[in-house]
Amino acid sequence: MGLLRPVFARFVALVPVVIGVTILVFALNAVALGDPARVAMGQRADPEALARLRREYALDRPLPVQYMAWLGRLARGDLGESFREQRPVGEVIVERLPATARLALAATLISIVLGVGMGGLAAVRAGSALDHLLMGVAVLGISTPVFWLGMMLALVFAVTLGWLPVSGYGDGALRHLILPAFTLGALHTGTVARMTRSSLLEVVRQDFMATARAKGLPEWAVLGKHALRNALVPVVTVIGIGLADLLVGAPLTETVFAWPGVGRLLVAAVGQRDLPVVMGAVLVFALVYVLGNLLVDLAYLVVDPRMRDAIRA
Amino acid sequence: MTRAALAAALLLVLIASVLSGAAVAAKPGGTLRMVFVADPPTLDPAHATDLTSSAVIRQVFDALLELDQKLVPAPALAERWTVSADHRAYTFHLRRGAKFHNGREVRAADVKYSFERAARGKRPWVFEKLVGAREFIKGSATDIGGVRVVDDATVELRLERPFAPFLHLVAYDAASIVPREEADKRGAGFASHPVGTGAFRFVSWRRDDQVVLERFPEHFRSPAHVERVVFRIIPAEATRFNEYVAGQLDVTDIPTGRCRALQSDARLKGDVAIWPTLGTSALRFNVERAPFTDARVRRAIAHAIDPSIIVDRLLEGCVTSAQGIVPPVLAGWTATAKRLPLDRERARTLLAQAGFPGGRGLGPIAYHFNTNDANQRIAEALQAQLKEIGVMLELRRLDWAAHIKLVDDGSAGFFRQGWIADYPDPENFLTVLFHSRNLGAPGNTSRYRNPAVDRLLDEADTLAPGAARVKRYQEAEQIILDDAAWVSLYHYASRALIKPHVKGLERSPQSTAPEFLAPLRKVWLER
Repeated sequence: MGLLRPVFARFVALVPVVIGVTILVFALNAVALGDPARVAMGQRADPEALARLRREYALDRPLPVQYMAWLGRLARGDLGESFREQRPVGEVIVERLPATARLALAATLISIVLGVGMGGLAAVRAGSALDHLLMGVAVLGISTPVFWLGMMLALVFAVTLGWLPVSGYGDGALRHLILPAFTLGALHTGTVARMTRSSLLEVVRQDFMATARAKGLPEWAVLGKHALRNALVPVVTVIGIGLADLLVGAPLTETVFAWPGVGRLLVAAVGQRDLPVVMGAVLVFALVYVLGNLLVDLAYLVVDPRMRDAIRA
Repeated sequence: MTRAALAAALLLVLIASVLSGAAVAAKPGGTLRMVFVADPPTLDPAHATDLTSSAVIRQVFDALLELDQKLVPAPALAERWTVSADHRAYTFHLRRGAKFHNGREVRAADVKYSFERAARGKRPWVFEKLVGAREFIKGSATDIGGVRVVDDATVELRLERPFAPFLHLVAYDAASIVPREEADKRGAGFASHPVGTGAFRFVSWRRDDQVVLERFPEHFRSPAHVERVVFRIIPAEATRFNEYVAGQLDVTDIPTGRCRALQSDARLKGDVAIWPTLGTSALRFNVERAPFTDARVRRAIAHAIDPSIIVDRLLEGCVTSAQGIVPPVLAGWTATAKRLPLDRERARTLLAQAGFPGGRGLGPIAYHFNTNDANQRIAEALQAQLKEIGVMLELRRLDWAAHIKLVDDGSAGFFRQGWIADYPDPENFLTVLFHSRNLGAPGNTSRYRNPAVDRLLDEADTLAPGAARVKRYQEAEQIILDDAAWVSLYHYASRALIKPHVKGLERSPQSTAPEFLAPLRKVWLER
């Protein structure tokens, strides 16, 4: 019960953040030039058909009225109807959500396993050639554009070697996921690796590490059990912040690998001025981001017993 | 038998054996793997306005007529038709035994239902020539009086006035025939689960991933050769190319900037296919916006532009330089128009006469174009060319939605706008783009009004196909070019990579890569 109250309070605090995001996106869309009804008509637009479509899309109503109507529908769990696909936005997003979730989870997993592994190894061999190599790779991962990296990976592993498919979701098999997940995960792997290394190096200099060694514990236990656990608190923070990187990288990765996810949907919807889809997709991204950060906060409680004690106290 | 007769006989035998060989060689089966750049917004003919949607719709549905490879109307669901002496009534006799994918036979009532349903869709202009269509579209009539069901197998279409390209409209995919029971039952869902009479029936559509069709064994023409067609949806040009090279696509488009290189690539040059299509890329002026209200300023700009640099250097010679508005590849068209020639001295004189000697007083001119690499490079070339006569261009790059908004509402004074023919007729270029009744979004974004041009176009639109009709369009085209309401740059070409084992894929001037509006029932795979 002691833990539930602060969690609930954090949860409630997310509501204004999400509403703020939707207001911002709605306002940006209003400022952007372009008429979704006109885009839907193709190169030649009949004025009467155009007027009818604007009425159907409720684009003839004042902007605040449009926004309030959207919010009202949202309260009832209805995200409206896509201008482009003429289907409920919920349906449009739900179709694509599993693909994005798979990709994001796989990329996160890759960044954690590789990042913590590389960072840990670099810390253990600090100052060695291996340390420099691993950190060099990490910096490369951070600074390489997602689009370029994706293209290169596809060229090498799909076109030249023929080991993996070039693009697409296929039948959902793992082999289709590997290249997009590595591409999306690369950026974050570097950040996690660098943070793990610096955090570990800081922890190993602390007194309790000397105590652990004095007790006669083997080195792997000293590092793996005592050092890593303490070093993970800032790493968990980086993983949480890294969700933003994943959300930014998802549309690009999905485009390069023709991955049928929400990121690609959002890019297309912006181009078509399909406002209900833009609002729905941004809402999903905002929720993923804020809930992800909430989960990170909760993860502190698991990783660091001092925080549990502080909250109980 | 003389030697010549013997040679002729042998030739005939040879031709016959080749033809029969070709027929035998058309092996059934296999999956044809095509590609789209974007997910089709809809598979409902009443609501489609884009090439991607049309590419699927043309396989799943049939119209009363279709266009053959030379773009001449040919029988489809209608096996024959007659035209009244006044060219206002068209009577179509439906093919007996043609079935929808749900097994029901097509009836004349389906034609009336389909036309009325689509008339209230996104392309009402396809039906507006029919008697009573305008009232129906506006909602003041309950049906289109000009569509009359004579009996189960006969339907009569009556026009307000003669319209020469009407058969092209009947063959257009907006005029596809849909089964009422399916469209009514599924409502908006019909766009995701289309049911037609086409050579392929719908199997599945995973959004942003792929559309799958399969051969319809009961198609009225006999089943298609290939068993399945898969349209992959791949937005990135480089990824489409990689998929093609990896052997996962049978057809794709040629990536931007690779046209010349691929034609000399040892592995791929045999797969390169380039053919002219019915489209023209151009620069347009809003003639109601200063300084373009003055024809001398427009002409000065037209005289200063050298399209050959754009065609040969920027577009690698893979498109053709344009003189006129109507592409010369249009069947029955004789290209006579001449664009204002490159003459920068003349351009400077015209500017001076308009009160802007050396471009002074003109200020920077905003040039609007929609985002894409080729358009950006063309804009930069134009900027450099116009600087030579003292006209400074300010480049305004926007995405398509924003660009078309500025163009339609008249805010853009000088802008890029191409045109791809909806149907192969000069009316679709000249009347749609320059008649004063089509100002703005319907097509005349130049806001050009010229009673002489209107008169020529009105006459030509109602005349029967032939020399007299073509002559009027040619006259109108030259007047428009001389008035510099439009500066032609180049005619579009389709640039594709097609695997050698893909046979029978039509490359008509309306078939653009990678969508290919061609009938895929004719395609077979040699492997």
